[in-house]
Amino acid sequence: MLSGIDYFIVITYIIGMLLLGLYFKKFVNSSEDYFLGGKNLPFWAIGMSIVVSDIGALDFVGVSGQAYRYGISVGNFDWVGSVPAMLLAAFIFIPYFWRGGMYTIPEYLGRRYNKSVRTIASVTWILFFALDLGVLFWASAVLLNVLMGWPIWVSIISMAGVVGLYTYFGGITAVIMTDVVQFIIMFIGGFALVVLCLYEVGGWDSMVDKINNIGPQYQSHFEIIQPQNTKSPFPWTGILFGLTFVMANAYMIGNQAIVQRCLTAKNEWHAKASMIFGSALKMFIPILVLFPGLMAVVVHPGIADGDQALPLMIKSILPPGLIGLMFAAFFAGLMSSVDSLLNSTSTLFTKDIYEPFIKKGATDKHYLKVGQVTTLVLLLIGVATSPISSDFPGIYVAIQTFMSYFQGPIFAILLLGIFWKRTTQWGGLSALVIGIGFAIYLNVFKERFFTIEDPFLYISWWSFLLSAIINVAVSLLTKKHTAEELQGLVFNSKILVENKKL
Amino acid sequence: MFNFDWLSDISQETAKIIFLCLYAVIGLLVLLLPNEYIYQGMVKENRHWWNNLKLWAIAVLSILAAIYSHF
Repeated sequence: MLSGIDYFIVITYIIGMLLLGLYFKKFVNSSEDYFLGGKNLPFWAIGMSIVVSDIGALDFVGVSGQAYRYGISVGNFDWVGSVPAMLLAAFIFIPYFWRGGMYTIPEYLGRRYNKSVRTIASVTWILFFALDLGVLFWASAVLLNVLMGWPIWVSIISMAGVVGLYTYFGGITAVIMTDVVQFIIMFIGGFALVVLCLYEVGGWDSMVDKINNIGPQYQSHFEIIQPQNTKSPFPWTGILFGLTFVMANAYMIGNQAIVQRCLTAKNEWHAKASMIFGSALKMFIPILVLFPGLMAVVVHPGIADGDQALPLMIKSILPPGLIGLMFAAFFAGLMSSVDSLLNSTSTLFTKDIYEPFIKKGATDKHYLKVGQVTTLVLLLIGVATSPISSDFPGIYVAIQTFMSYFQGPIFAILLLGIFWKRTTQWGGLSALVIGIGFAIYLNVFKERFFTIEDPFLYISWWSFLLSAIINVAVSLLTKKHTAEELQGLVFNSKILVENKKL
Repeated sequence: MFNFDWLSDISQETAKIIFLCLYAVIGLLVLLLPNEYIYQGMVKENRHWWNNLKLWAIAVLSILAAIYSHF
């Protein structure tokens, strides 16, 4: 499928990323440099990094496939499922995390609630990220094997080598600055495909007419709001309650891989601006990952497996050279996801587990070394465990489901923790434990409770709601925290009434 | 109850209005934030209208609302 020029582009890109990442080694002299980039990065780089880390190679294929099957409603995940949450993060949560000099989200939870909440949250994220790493390696290698014919282990080892090297030496600065280039490559490759696809189908209006005329099953392909009783996994009720109110916020506010980037900002304004800039860029993502799937309905109607939509479009539409660029975009998605997982997991382990439980009061150089060694160990674990995915094909879905157990409860305790000073450590702890248990219960007996096939949006909402109720009830029954304990950890509503211009 | 059956009478058009109202409410809340809070971290001489994050947020929300109005 690839010509000589395509291979040249892909290999040049990979080598370029390695060299660029290694260049940032010289800026790493302390653990703050390694985990927070010396708190010296600009908003635009962080904003691009947030967006590109969120889009992996698998998303290109998966979202195009869902767009092929369900239409434009898939775009909800990047539009209403991102923008409001990113604004909430930018204006409320990020300033508190940034001012507090925090490294991790569990660190905030530890200060606001107690050590147990911090440890549960941190261990859960570490487990999720570590498992995800192996699965990501394997799934992406299989994708590259299908699309490019590369042997699976060549893909895994070359990818692990390149990403591992620059993440090990350059820390989060290397991660973010390589993400900037990866973002640009991804956008150029993605937009080239969209423009050529649009030309192929005769323009937007022509595509809409053709899809609407194919048959009744495509009548709702251009309706972003799906009815409550839709057969698709995206009814508007799930999008509003599960996605907009809970999962999006949990992801943008409670996800270490996202928030850690904002904490690298050179000042509070840059920290806030990075999220808002990221939200603006995020609105373009559906154009890149969703539109090719829609256009495939016209060019290749009747595909049994929607996930074949994007590969078929690339094969049939892109000329040599641009195919290479598109594959470089795939690599960009993969590399940015892997480097984020590595750096974030290393930060969580070093700051939330190693420092408080294994070796307190060591030198900064020691923690820097621990962070680097953890990155290396994680990489080896990721490579070694990646074949597990071939034995358990459903493991990717299983890991994502596991994460959805956690989203509602974690957002409930973050939200109440920052907005309600009466929330206590026991309220937070019981909400987290009972909320996760309830989410697991709902998922195990989902056929009993839900009518749609994959009710993860509903599960996240109901587990959020129960966690919030438990948090309030237990907090009211237990001893409240003192004003000193809450200093700098709870949103101060006085800033609103102090605005003289209103 | 878990499936939100009690909201099944709400039409897609009404649901769309709910989403648009949500964007309007968020926009209003953003406007309520004081400028001092918005510019925190930036030195006074560098504070201009183009780095007012409220305007950035309103612009993003407007585009989002336009997308949801169109589709």
